[in-house]
Amino acid sequence: MTYEYFMSMLIPMLEGAKATVLLFVLAIVLSIPLGFLLTLAVRSSMKPISFLAQSYIYIMRGTPLLLQLLFFVFGLPLLPVIGEYLVLDRFVAATLAFILNYAAYFAEIFRGGLLSIDKGQYEASQVLGLTKSQTTVRVILPQMFRVTLPPIANESVSLVKDTALLYAVAVPELLHYAQTVVNRDFTIIPFFIAAGIYLLIAFALTMVFKYLERKLQYD
Amino acid sequence: MSFIEISNLQKSFGPLEVLKGLTFEVEKNDVLAIIGPSGSGKSTMLRSLIQLEEVNGGSIAVDGDFLVKDGVYSKPIDSKKVVAKMGMVFQQFNLFPHLTVKQNLELAPKLVKKERSQDYSLRSVELLEKVGLSSKQDEYPSRLSGGQKQRVAIARALMMNPDILLFDEPTSALDPQLTKEVLHVMKKLAEEHMTMIVVTHEMEFASHVANRVIFMDEGSIVEEGSPQEIFSAPKVQRTKQFLNYELYE
Repeated sequence: MTYEYFMSMLIPMLEGAKATVLLFVLAIVLSIPLGFLLTLAVRSSMKPISFLAQSYIYIMRGTPLLLQLLFFVFGLPLLPVIGEYLVLDRFVAATLAFILNYAAYFAEIFRGGLLSIDKGQYEASQVLGLTKSQTTVRVILPQMFRVTLPPIANESVSLVKDTALLYAVAVPELLHYAQTVVNRDFTIIPFFIAAGIYLLIAFALTMVFKYLERKLQYD
Repeated sequence: MSFIEISNLQKSFGPLEVLKGLTFEVEKNDVLAIIGPSGSGKSTMLRSLIQLEEVNGGSIAVDGDFLVKDGVYSKPIDSKKVVAKMGMVFQQFNLFPHLTVKQNLELAPKLVKKERSQDYSLRSVELLEKVGLSSKQDEYPSRLSGGQKQRVAIARALMMNPDILLFDEPTSALDPQLTKEVLHVMKKLAEEHMTMIVVTHEMEFASHVANRVIFMDEGSIVEEGSPQEIFSAPKVQRTKQFLNYELYE
């Protein structure tokens, strides 16, 4: 296999990897804060808000991500009346589906993180005179973030791999280009290259989270 | 009028009556030890004083200001002022694990009192010296022994310059050696005339450091008096029983 031929496979795949990484970055950056808001909504003392948030999480976690993707990309435009305004760019629609889906998972992770924090932390803050928001921002969140880092790292790696689902809604990404070359040249090599690229991304992520864990270590 | 006045304090958890109309006073500079069996309501009473529990009836007043009067709480702005006169030390220390010792001390002065950093920094250095932990100021709590943690917790409470310190079984999670170092600090505070209310199973402390002792059982005050009166000549049978058990069993 010549170098030129190898590059002719690799370059479109790297092009596809751009879409993969872009989706990943958008989804993670937006779903984490959204997930945290959901956690707060679930814990809200206002019953309807809590109920809505819980239902949302139940639906997003209880149905396949692939179904949600198809719904956002191909289903939304079919809705009566409003459908015609919901014809989004396929990449945008798919990204939206990822953000909304992953937010539900992050919400559950954060909820678990909050449950792990001893009620003595709230009491100590209260008797020292801290307000509720000071307690949340200065005492609870830093501890919650530390506790939830490993599961967040886990979800992030899942997210990298789930980006391959874009294949099903015909948004060109890494796997799409790999498959194209496989069909065109009848060779298995692109699959290995694709696997290598996914592993590289996962490795980089693992390193980032390891660094964060070390940086936030307090025991 | 006494410094702290508590009258007819009542509290229930559902059908369970935990405080059945407690009435007592605390004078300035008192060191009041509250003893009694587990489940007698001692901790609940102490936690009510600083509004970690809401009572169902009765009054709490500190220095003439009501936290709660006949079961009705003062407006938050007023009740906050009353609570701010008190500091609290917990059985489980409740230090902030993500902050260093010094940061633990300085968080509240910074956020609540909006002090300048040179002011609270100076005070935290002083107080750490006072509890004998100057060398630990940059450690995280997880690196400290239980006794050291509790001494940090005491220093943290002192940072807010409280008029009264409340201790909720401060040594119950510690072995005898560590208990000693914590009691040593508390004794020093007593000598400096800090007003303290201490829920404790340390009869040594209650009899030697406290100037008044209350014995509680089943949500009521059974007997109160000087340590001599309670420990040497208890009048009530239930007190005798309890003390025999605590001291000799």
